[in-house]
Amino acid sequence: MNGRRFYRRNLGVGILLMLLLAATTASAYVPMGAWNTVVNFAIAAAKIGLVAAFFMHLLDADALLRIAAAVALLMLSIFLTLASTDYLARRISPAPWQGPHVLRPSSPAR
Amino acid sequence: MSAEARPLPAEAWALRRATLGMWVFLATELMFFGPLFFGYWYGRLAFVDAFFAASRQTDVLLGGINTAVLLASSAFMACAVDALEAGKRRASPWLLLATAALGLAFLGIKGVEYLDDFHKGLYPGGDTRLDSGGRLFFLLYYAMTGVHALHLFIGIGVALVFAFGIARRRPALCDPGRLRVAGLYWHFVDSIWIFLYPILYLAGRSG
Repeated sequence: MNGRRFYRRNLGVGILLMLLLAATTASAYVPMGAWNTVVNFAIAAAKIGLVAAFFMHLLDADALLRIAAAVALLMLSIFLTLASTDYLARRISPAPWQGPHVLRPSSPAR
Repeated sequence: MSAEARPLPAEAWALRRATLGMWVFLATELMFFGPLFFGYWYGRLAFVDAFFAASRQTDVLLGGINTAVLLASSAFMACAVDALEAGKRRASPWLLLATAALGLAFLGIKGVEYLDDFHKGLYPGGDTRLDSGGRLFFLLYYAMTGVHALHLFIGIGVALVFAFGIARRRPALCDPGRLRVAGLYWHFVDSIWIFLYPILYLAGRSG
C-alpha cells in the first residue's frame, strides 16, 4: 500500500474498535440475563475479527495462514469441549478412579 | 500464465515461512492460555453467582481505559508496519515508540489496579468475604492478567528494539517482513486482552 492510505484505514479500524469497546461496556449494564454474556462474547469476537483481518492482515493473506489461524481456534474449541464432557458430567457419573474412601457416604472427605 | 510458472523470489518465500512460523507459534500460545480459559469456563458454570459477585469487585473504569490504550497501541503498531513497508523509515520508529509507550501505560495502569486490589484484600487467601468461587475467580484473574502482562512486557521490548534499530538503519531490523512478524505477536497479545476484558470486568455488571 502506498501513500497515506494505510493511515486512514488503520485509523478507521481503530475508531471502530473503540466504538465496539463502548458498546460492550454499556451493554454490560443493561439487564439482559444470559444475553449479556452472549452480547459480550459476540462483540469480543467482532473486535478480535477486526484485529485479525486488518491489523494482522489475514484478509489479504495466503490461504495457508488463514488455515493456520483457523486450526488454532478449532483445536482450542475441541480441547475445551472434550474437557467439558468430564467436568460437566462429574456430578452425574463420578470418575471411576475415585477410590472407595472418596465415594463412601460417611467419608469426611466429601 | 499460471501462478506456478512464475516462481516467487527467495525473499518472498522467506517472509512466507517466517509469517507461517509466527502463526504456528501464536497457535501454541493460544493453547497455553487454553487451560486458564477452561478454568474460567468451569468456574463460571459451577459458581456463577460467586463469579459475578467477584467480577463486580474489579475496577471496570481502569480495565476499560486499559482496553482502549491497548486497542490504540495495536493501531499504532499496524501503522508502523505499513509505514516501513511503504518505505517511510522516519515515521516508523516514532509509531513504534508510541506503541511501546501505550504498552508501558497499560502496565502502569495495571500496576495501580493490582495495588488497589491488594489493599481491598482481593486475592486468594486475602482478608475478604470471598467464598471458594470468588477465590477461584481471583486466582484466574491474577493468572490471566499476569501472564498477559508478561507477554506485553516482551512485546514492548521487541517494539523498542525495532524502533531504535530502524532509527539507526540497522539492516536486519529495517526489513519490513520482520517487523510485520513482530507486529503479529503484538496484535495477538492485544486480542487476548480483548477477550479478557468482558470475562473479567464485565461479567455480572447488570445483576
